[in-house]
Amino acid sequence: MLLVLGVYFIGPIVASVWFTVRRVGGGVTATYYSAIPGADGFADAFLRSLLLAVLTVVLVLLLMIPTVVLVELRLPRLRPTVEILTLLPLVLPPIALVVGVRSVLSWAPDYFYGTPLASAFYALQQPSLPWILVLVYGVLALPFAYRALDAGVRGVDLRTLTEAARGLGASWPRVLATVVVPVLRTSVLNAAFLTVALVMGEFTVANILGFTTFPTWIVQTGGEHPQLSVSVSILSLAITWALLLLISALDRRRPTEEAT
Amino acid sequence: MDPGDVGLSTTLRANAPDPAHQDPARGGDPAAAGPGRAGPRTGARGRRGVPAWLGLVPFFLYITLFLLLPIGAVAVEAFRGTDPVTFATTWSTSSIAQVTQGAYRRAYLGSLELSLIAAVVAAVLGMALAVVIVNARRGRALRRLVLTASGVLANFGGVPLAFAFLATIGNAGVVTALLQNRFGLGLGGFSLYSMTGLGLVYLYFLIPLMVLTIVPALEALRPQWREAAENLGATGRQYWRHVGGPVLLPPVLGATMLLFASSFAAYATAKALVGSSVPLVTLQIANALSSNVVVGSENLGKALALGMVLLVGVVMVFYAWVQRRTQRWLS
Amino acid sequence: MTAAPAPVHVLAAAAPADLRDRPGVDVRLQGLTRRYGSLLALDGLDLDITGGEFLALLGPSGCGKTTALRAIAGFDRPDGGRVLVDGRDITDVPASKRDMGMVFQAYSLFPNLNVAENVAFGLRVRHRGKAERARRAGELLELVGLADRADRYPHQLSGGQQQRVALARALAVAPQVLLLDEPLSALDAQVRVQLREEIRRIQLELGITTVFVTHDQAEALSVADRVGVLRSGRLEQVASPSDLYERPATVFVAQFVGTMNRLPARVVDGGAEVLGVRRPVAGDVPSGGPVLALVRPEALSVTADAAGPGRIVTRTFSGAVSRLAVALPGGVEVQVDVASADSQDLTPGTAVTVGLAERPVLLAPPEPA
Repeated sequence: MLLVLGVYFIGPIVASVWFTVRRVGGGVTATYYSAIPGADGFADAFLRSLLLAVLTVVLVLLLMIPTVVLVELRLPRLRPTVEILTLLPLVLPPIALVVGVRSVLSWAPDYFYGTPLASAFYALQQPSLPWILVLVYGVLALPFAYRALDAGVRGVDLRTLTEAARGLGASWPRVLATVVVPVLRTSVLNAAFLTVALVMGEFTVANILGFTTFPTWIVQTGGEHPQLSVSVSILSLAITWALLLLISALDRRRPTEEAT
Repeated sequence: MDPGDVGLSTTLRANAPDPAHQDPARGGDPAAAGPGRAGPRTGARGRRGVPAWLGLVPFFLYITLFLLLPIGAVAVEAFRGTDPVTFATTWSTSSIAQVTQGAYRRAYLGSLELSLIAAVVAAVLGMALAVVIVNARRGRALRRLVLTASGVLANFGGVPLAFAFLATIGNAGVVTALLQNRFGLGLGGFSLYSMTGLGLVYLYFLIPLMVLTIVPALEALRPQWREAAENLGATGRQYWRHVGGPVLLPPVLGATMLLFASSFAAYATAKALVGSSVPLVTLQIANALSSNVVVGSENLGKALALGMVLLVGVVMVFYAWVQRRTQRWLS
Repeated sequence: MTAAPAPVHVLAAAAPADLRDRPGVDVRLQGLTRRYGSLLALDGLDLDITGGEFLALLGPSGCGKTTALRAIAGFDRPDGGRVLVDGRDITDVPASKRDMGMVFQAYSLFPNLNVAENVAFGLRVRHRGKAERARRAGELLELVGLADRADRYPHQLSGGQQQRVALARALAVAPQVLLLDEPLSALDAQVRVQLREEIRRIQLELGITTVFVTHDQAEALSVADRVGVLRSGRLEQVASPSDLYERPATVFVAQFVGTMNRLPARVVDGGAEVLGVRRPVAGDVPSGGPVLALVRPEALSVTADAAGPGRIVTRTFSGAVSRLAVALPGGVEVQVDVASADSQDLTPGTAVTVGLAERPVLLAPPEPA
């Protein structure tokens, strides 16, 4: 059974690499890979996705670090509520969410025409930098970010640490910046990496809302240049996997680092 | 959730409930420890009189605006209809009625069938793999390899996965060409661009996802339980029937449900692989939204989306019910 | 979920009759050998346990005591040797057919079954009727004082309560032998003492042959009829607690059981010269040269003496007895037990002389530098 599964899992990867490096009539070539940077629209889409990823990370961390810490230290009663809300996007189909987002965005011309609210709605939908994607990706990233941060908070005795800091006269913002964030460093990095990987691979939302991002560009290109799109896919996979392997390396380091 | 769309599942490992949640075997009274982690607290009000819940306002505001509001909009606007002549919108159940029939009905059934079969097959195979690596006492290396690979592969979904399979067993795929040119064989009637093909592709990220979610649950089965049962005269089957099975059932069901939700919501993989030649709800929603020709198709999309949310909701409720029934002992 | 503290038993409930009136069976281990890779966990272990006896296996971790217990239970197959119960060779009998009750260190209760179901588990897999199971669970929970917790789940119990349930569960199938694998080591000190006394009470009442594995010498000495001290898979000594304490057969036993002072000594004419006095030697006499005399704290005495060579370093009060740490010349520090009431003047800093009781001393070879 292990052998069959092994072939099943390794086969497609090997085959797609071979697909992109074989030369017609035999031999090996790297032309498809060297063509990537110059490909039509690649740089634009890739950089946009990268920017979206960074913005989403900032949004998610700014939102979730205080939330997780507050729930742990001050409002443990709200934990179940926060937990359910953050985990909801895990089972909720993203396509259903984006249909809803589209409906809400269409209120601008329908109901708010000519009001500042409508202008705000339009500002969210600039094709060059669609902020609405950042906001929706934030929702999709919530379960992963929450779990990563929550695991970090539970792994250390945050209460004692913050009480000690407060006892020494530090203010709450100071405690957050000088005690909490350094202690949660690994989990924060973890949450950030997961979010980046998510945004770099997200297709549904961008496609339905009609924005060009890295994944939608790959699909658009796929029809005309199959080798190019497969080689870009492989490249994006390699990047994602490198991120994930980095996470698991950090995970493995954690027990020794944070052991009491 | 489609791992292609939502990317990552590494953190799901923590998802499995820990069946071994017995209080640490300390003497004394567990109640004396108080309600869990609530130690000495300064109350819900800070030193300067700022209520702590104010800090959660951004979170709840964000959730309300970008999660609850869109879902609410779908739920309400699915019941709106546009008159094809006057373009006036009115309350109507015509969209709802439409999506329960014909091609849309087939799409729901197709999605449900595909997700259900893929989820169950992946759950069985993933479970088998997890049992192998958990029990391989000397196979630490194997175990580490499978877990790391699972963490990575569970996130291999969406567009790249579709292209990898296209390059392998698609019409111009490497393996397809190899079989045809070298051995004069086809793929034996198998087509990647079918429901079966799609299922095969889904398994690629579903099996690792199962391994990731279920390994912690398997590890939480304490060897003492098995030995205690044996010591009391139980056979292996009796142990699994009275102890091992009941303890594992909730996490296994939970994991299977997650796999179901993943494949049910999958869009990117299907879109990149089969376009719209296979009846799936996600593809139908995208079609309805991108159609500028049919009046009211936007509402149709909302009705379809509402149907998806409701179906996932039903599965969740069923899961919660099973969870409650099987996990009385964790109350 | 609230659980009251474990009730203290003033009047113990009577054990079920069918458990009580049975003769305990003999257990005999013959040349048990078990190897894990390069580690020799059991090295030809021989041990006779008489019917109805409470035997403790004591030793440091890794000495093979748990391996021996698991070999008796049938969880671990020895590479060599035999296990006999009442003269019958059961080495090849699977654990599920051995008729032995085992209590594990911790976390062994089935989490999905409530207390009564846990206790009745052995009867359930033997296809006994519901009424019989309920009655039996009731009797045994009465015995361990948890009758009012029958419908709780394990995670709702304290550690001590969980171990009582585990004991009731092990006894419910009326096993021939009771095996206890460090059942108290995960508990708080106070609960540990209380529960070990209760285990002993129940064991005496039932007369069941019991093997109790522990690394805690105080625990072993306080409950067992006999204690076997294990070291590297071999028995160093099997003896009653008082013999073990008073007449340790080997240096290892002497140092492992109780507190032992090590004083520099010399062998002179077959006797030992310690602290300037001569005492007869108990046991073997090491060949010539400097040796160490092993002396219990209560075998030493201390008297205030401004010209004395010793100086009191600390004084630790523990009720009727106080323990003094006394520094002697040559960097030697000894522990001395004195009656608290008679030694008010012996405070830290006091100059003293240390005396040695008139009894034979045990000698050990000098420690490697």
